[in-house]
Amino acid sequence: MSSTPPSPSLSTTTQNPPTPKPSSPPVPFLPSQAARIYSFAHPFLLLGLLGLRFDKLVADPVTELLNDLPFLALLQVGYVMTCLPPAGSGYAHGHGHSHKAVGETGGSGDSAGEEKRKTNPVVRAGKAGYRRRQQKGEAGGFSVKLIPALLSLTLIFLLATPVLSILLVLFGAPLTTHNFETVLCAAHMAVLSTTALIYVHGVDGAVWKEVWGIARPSDGVWGGALGTCVGAWFGAVPIPLDWDRPWQAYPITILTGAYIGFAVGSLIGRASFLYGKRIEFTPEELGIEKKVD
Amino acid sequence: MERESHLQSSLFVLCGDHGMNDAGNHGGSSIGETSPALLFISPKFQTKGMQRESPVQAASSMQYYRTVEQADITPTLSGLLGIPIPLNNLGVFIPELLSMWDHGPQRIHILLENAKQLLNTVKATFPGYAFDPKSNPPDCDSGVRTGVEEIQCTWFRVLELLQRSEGIAHPKIELALLHFSKAAQNLMSSTSSNYDLTKLNLGLCISGFAVLISSTATYRTVLKFRNATVFLILSTLGYGAMMFASSYVEEEQQFWYWIFTGWMFYLHIRLFNKQSIFLSCESASKKRYRLSAPSIAKAASPACLSICQRILRRWNQTGQKFTGEPDIARTFLSKRPIALWSLVILTYADTCLHLVLAVPSSRAWRLAAVTVTMVAFIFKVNFVASDSPELFHTSSLEWIGNINVSLVSQARLVFGGIALLIIFLICVNKMASSSHSRQRPPYIAFHELLTLFLITQSRATNVPLFSIFRSQFYIIHSMDLMDIEVTITSLLSQYMTFFAFGGSNAISSVDLSSAYNGIGSYSVVLVGVLMYISNWAGPIWWASASHLLRPNPTRGERVVRIALLTFHVTASLMSVMAACTALRTHLFIWTVFSPKYLYTVAWSMINHIAINVFSEAALQSLERK
Repeated sequence: MSSTPPSPSLSTTTQNPPTPKPSSPPVPFLPSQAARIYSFAHPFLLLGLLGLRFDKLVADPVTELLNDLPFLALLQVGYVMTCLPPAGSGYAHGHGHSHKAVGETGGSGDSAGEEKRKTNPVVRAGKAGYRRRQQKGEAGGFSVKLIPALLSLTLIFLLATPVLSILLVLFGAPLTTHNFETVLCAAHMAVLSTTALIYVHGVDGAVWKEVWGIARPSDGVWGGALGTCVGAWFGAVPIPLDWDRPWQAYPITILTGAYIGFAVGSLIGRASFLYGKRIEFTPEELGIEKKVD
Repeated sequence: MERESHLQSSLFVLCGDHGMNDAGNHGGSSIGETSPALLFISPKFQTKGMQRESPVQAASSMQYYRTVEQADITPTLSGLLGIPIPLNNLGVFIPELLSMWDHGPQRIHILLENAKQLLNTVKATFPGYAFDPKSNPPDCDSGVRTGVEEIQCTWFRVLELLQRSEGIAHPKIELALLHFSKAAQNLMSSTSSNYDLTKLNLGLCISGFAVLISSTATYRTVLKFRNATVFLILSTLGYGAMMFASSYVEEEQQFWYWIFTGWMFYLHIRLFNKQSIFLSCESASKKRYRLSAPSIAKAASPACLSICQRILRRWNQTGQKFTGEPDIARTFLSKRPIALWSLVILTYADTCLHLVLAVPSSRAWRLAAVTVTMVAFIFKVNFVASDSPELFHTSSLEWIGNINVSLVSQARLVFGGIALLIIFLICVNKMASSSHSRQRPPYIAFHELLTLFLITQSRATNVPLFSIFRSQFYIIHSMDLMDIEVTITSLLSQYMTFFAFGGSNAISSVDLSSAYNGIGSYSVVLVGVLMYISNWAGPIWWASASHLLRPNPTRGERVVRIALLTFHVTASLMSVMAACTALRTHLFIWTVFSPKYLYTVAWSMINHIAINVFSEAALQSLERK
């Protein structure tokens, strides 16, 4: 609980007294053998597939991105249904690796927050149905998993893709040309980053506020999502080089960066030295001392 | 040429300045790009029997017939034209073309002229050697000789052969002369890239020491403002590493645009964290989340800043790789004079309004401010009318462009007006300090005058940028940033806007169009100052704006700001020096790395010391009064 932070900018949530209670604790992967193995294999599988289709992607990005999108969506849905607890199942907040989650982030504030959420129907309205079914049967009910998966796919294409397209343009993607590339790149990034987030957290407003503010505690799901975006940002680095390679064209490096970022993020985000930690600011940086004075 | 009789003895030289790679591009160091073609075409060659087979088989090595040094073209053409060889030439006559002369003495004369000229350059470089067989007897039989001694011996051999020229066949003398010239050429090419490594390393050590001093001064802020300082250090390290790659030096603007998006992302996270703490405190007291309008505006401000930055980024396409691609200033606005002039007028009007409001309760100031802005605008219209009339037709501003006052006097009028307004501000300031009843004019009045001056020194297509700057300024102002964050934002903005104005790390991109404003006869200092101001208008504006963004900093805060800026400047200076030293034999040392070094000198000597440090020190001393 009070372990020293490995990186100067990260620390456990409980070390910072003024931080408000977390809306939702980090989510561990399901404890089953299959989930544990596949959660490690999935990022490598995606990278392998990217490597396999890379030449086609360079030759004709739009067609290739469009054709690959359904397969990527299927793979991601398969991944979340195998390895992660669906929204409202209660798994995310109690069972599974709960001992670890509590050990890392527990404390009075944390458990109080959890309690509050469980008793607060406003925050998690709409998922009461899942929970009731969940309480009746075992976590493995297929429909219990399928509905959040379909929900996440719908939201990805309706909300996450437009938002990420706008962000891509703000971060420097061309606006007057390459619009198909931008939207398709955003769609791939959305499937990579948001499928698991929606599947696990549903439409919990507090969680999505934290996502918007990059304030989620680290876990495999959030690591993958943040990794996708940071990877895409670093993907812009090789573009200005004068190597005259066809793969330097937009959006190939951005997308490759996003895939690599997703793989690295989901593997590192779940690692015990990061699990449950979030980006932390010194009191001076948040202007707390200033207000006291 | 074959058909016309008067062209029978003409020579057609086809000379490429570069080759190309498989994609058809050039500028790299591949064999295809660095092997340009050289063709000598003349009907004379047929009569002399000097034909070469053509076409030849394609070779991947790009070496056809023979490789000729680029420097050899000059003495060859001089010889063929019968004119003297240029003084500092380092080339050798191309031996194949000697067959243009039938007589041996003529050929020897050509080669001897070439050799004597080369000998003079060698003598000038090595004054210790007399190249006179009488003054110091030749010691050419011993085995070990330095480069110059070798040349000396070859020259003595040439002289010896020339003295006994009656008995010796001409080809032998020709060979000896060519041998000498080639040896002299090799020696001189190696000395022209003979760097004084001791001095280079000394400079590196001094800049390294400066980095050390400035980083110890920033050490305390690292603990206090961890994330922001880590961001600054990482971006400075990335910038330093970038200086070793020629394409990143050419595309430096991409780095600043990229790192600025990262900084916006950081500010977004930081503001969100602060906001959520603020909200949680509130919810603790009111038991309810409440989203007020200002808090939403605050949360959206990094996004708004990103939109402004995205427009800036596309304003002037610069660098090498994407230059000439459509942008706002050169593609969009140039073809739409009405849009351009509406934006320009809007910027002038906005500046005028802010100028008027800067010193309240003074009618004289208001009148003067409006007049000076009007004069500045009329000057801009007239300047564009004479400098780039293509931005002008179909516009209804032509009646202003017909004023019969010379541009020089108009510019002097603008500068004089701005100077008068500054004097006015200083007088009011003096009066205010003597009688405590009056209010001091705020720094913003000076800043607005500076804005007007910078607008005058900017190209018309860049004038609307100042309106974007102003929007960015208000957005940043509303974010209520920490001192260190303002410093980093201003640092990134200074570099970013330099490139947004169309600047790059190529010497050719220096904009001289506004450097002669108000100058009748050439003056190095005045033109230099005006040139700096017109090319660094964006950085100067942001250096000044950052003073406004930090209300009443303490002396310690000022020191930290200067230390952080100095850390960045010294670290980038050191990395550029290290890159130039390490890559001194690189193909692009004179075209990419050395220009970058000159730009870095301008950034650190003028922009850092004269603008950032000096203005900070001046404000500090004013405050103490």
